[in-house]
Amino acid sequence: MRALTAFMTGVTRLNNLLGRWFSYLVMVMFLLLLTGVAFRYLLQMPLSWTGELTQLLFGIYGLMAGGYLLSHNGHVNVDLVYSKFSLRTRAFLDLFTSILFFIFTLALFYFGLDMAWESFSGRETSNSAWNPPIWPVKAFIPAATLLLILQGIVKLLQDIAIAFNLSYYQPEPEPKEVPEDHA
Amino acid sequence: MSIEVMTLLFFGSLLFFLVLGLPLAFVLGGVSVVFLYFTWGFDSFYLVASQIWSTMGSFTLVAIPLFVFMAMILERTGVARDLYRMMHLWFGGVRGGLAIGTLMICAIFAAMVGISGAAVVAMGTIALPAMLERGYDKKMVLGVINTGGGWGVLIPPSILMILYALITGVSVGKMFAAGILPGIMLMVLTSAYVLIRCYLQPHLAPDLPKEERGTWPEKFAALRSVLLPMLVVFMVLGSIIGGITTPTEAAAMGVLGALISAAVYRALNMELIKDASIRTFKLTGMIMWILFAAHAFSAAYQSMGAQPMIEGMIQSIPGGPWAVIIFMMLIVFLLGMVLDPVGIMLITLPVFTPIVASMGFDPIWFGILFVINMEIGYMTPPFGFNLFYLKGVVPPGITMSDIYRSVIPFVIIQIVGIGCLMVFPEIATYLPNLFF
Repeated sequence: MRALTAFMTGVTRLNNLLGRWFSYLVMVMFLLLLTGVAFRYLLQMPLSWTGELTQLLFGIYGLMAGGYLLSHNGHVNVDLVYSKFSLRTRAFLDLFTSILFFIFTLALFYFGLDMAWESFSGRETSNSAWNPPIWPVKAFIPAATLLLILQGIVKLLQDIAIAFNLSYYQPEPEPKEVPEDHA
Repeated sequence: MSIEVMTLLFFGSLLFFLVLGLPLAFVLGGVSVVFLYFTWGFDSFYLVASQIWSTMGSFTLVAIPLFVFMAMILERTGVARDLYRMMHLWFGGVRGGLAIGTLMICAIFAAMVGISGAAVVAMGTIALPAMLERGYDKKMVLGVINTGGGWGVLIPPSILMILYALITGVSVGKMFAAGILPGIMLMVLTSAYVLIRCYLQPHLAPDLPKEERGTWPEKFAALRSVLLPMLVVFMVLGSIIGGITTPTEAAAMGVLGALISAAVYRALNMELIKDASIRTFKLTGMIMWILFAAHAFSAAYQSMGAQPMIEGMIQSIPGGPWAVIIFMMLIVFLLGMVLDPVGIMLITLPVFTPIVASMGFDPIWFGILFVINMEIGYMTPPFGFNLFYLKGVVPPGITMSDIYRSVIPFVIIQIVGIGCLMVFPEIATYLPNLFF
């Protein structure tokens, strides 16, 4: 049981730590694009790599948000009916619907790994003017999906604990409703 | 299994798992993978992974975190507070003037940011208590902030327009240009409604006492508050429409403008950057994972051959092309009550766009109708995001049912707006044809 609890807090902490660091990529992307514009117009010296590097970082940024968001229950859902149920009923529902979560993420992990491996073995580059290697970015697809899956397992364990009143996980009291940001 | 049964099962299971509370991204991804398995087998999942890679490679999408980041910064600066003070001084003497002023600030905010929540939160904390204090009717106040906040996605820049452009292949610049006049039209319509209501029922919005209206020097001094927002709007829209930068680079210019504004207001510190970064990460991540999953969805939808079937079904609607458009708007309106706008776009647009194009309608024009409808989705109960943002900032005396009831006349005005655009499509198509 101790190991279980340690696994759960460990994964959640890892996702939180990575999330905090990767969230600053938005500043990096901003500075890169600004540099690109400045070199093009102020110095009349267009750079070939700023746009493409931003692009690659953006992909990583989007991917890495998956696990972090799940640890914060941040993936948007329809809670019209769902929120009316008790904590325990919700846990049972989550156990049931997690099947779909794992089907999607495992498929993604398996084929993402396949794709990243293929890219790595061929030392794939982007074939642009700058031509950077792109396999490291592709490797983030299975890596980020793995983090998401791990966080999904944590959620699964939490739901089992709540559904069957097991002692290894105590749900925190529900936080006061603070609306999440939406587009 | 016949295609009809498959399609029914497919959309049925989407709906079923959504109602059970599984996040949209995983419902879309999971259901699609299961159906892909039955039509194309295990290896078709490779398609899902490779589609994710191509989503990551869309340069236009890079604009999303930047526009969001910009909004998160602007929301926390003193820009909104100063704008409100300016409106208070200038419009306080008019019946309903503070409400009109709030609508104008929302429009200015919408021209700076591309999401709907920023103006709602800013105005909900600043304008709402100020108006209630001066005896304004609470339903009028709530409705005004709700509507004005939604303009964030219609008046450029707009995250939803970027997504629309991505899905349908139209140019982002054209979409942005097309949103300007309809945005102004909605502002005029809504302001007219507020003015007429307040003229007929003065108790809804009493005019301010003389001593609060400010002197002329004060009024002119307060105009300074418009300068920074103007700078931000100019940096973003000027860059795109002037053809200087791509929309993505323009978003970076906007972030620069927002940071300058924050610095001017002495609000620029590590805390602000940290908070804005993490909120941006969450919102962008949410959108990106729905997008990732939506590729599985389009693949599954196309592989099942559902598209010709739905096309046939929709074209059999009596009343011709216009009836089809109205029918689509109705579906989107109903979905808007329960679903997230990004999700609605990704589910319906792959189905709708080919039909709209085959009937000979302008996709830019349809996009604007769609976006206004999404904007209505933000304010329609039970699941409009603006309602929840508002609930998060209103004083304790105001209940959710107050907020629900306040939106009714304002929703009707937006629907009238959609009607105007159907009768006069030029309102949307004039500027894009002029600029590009």
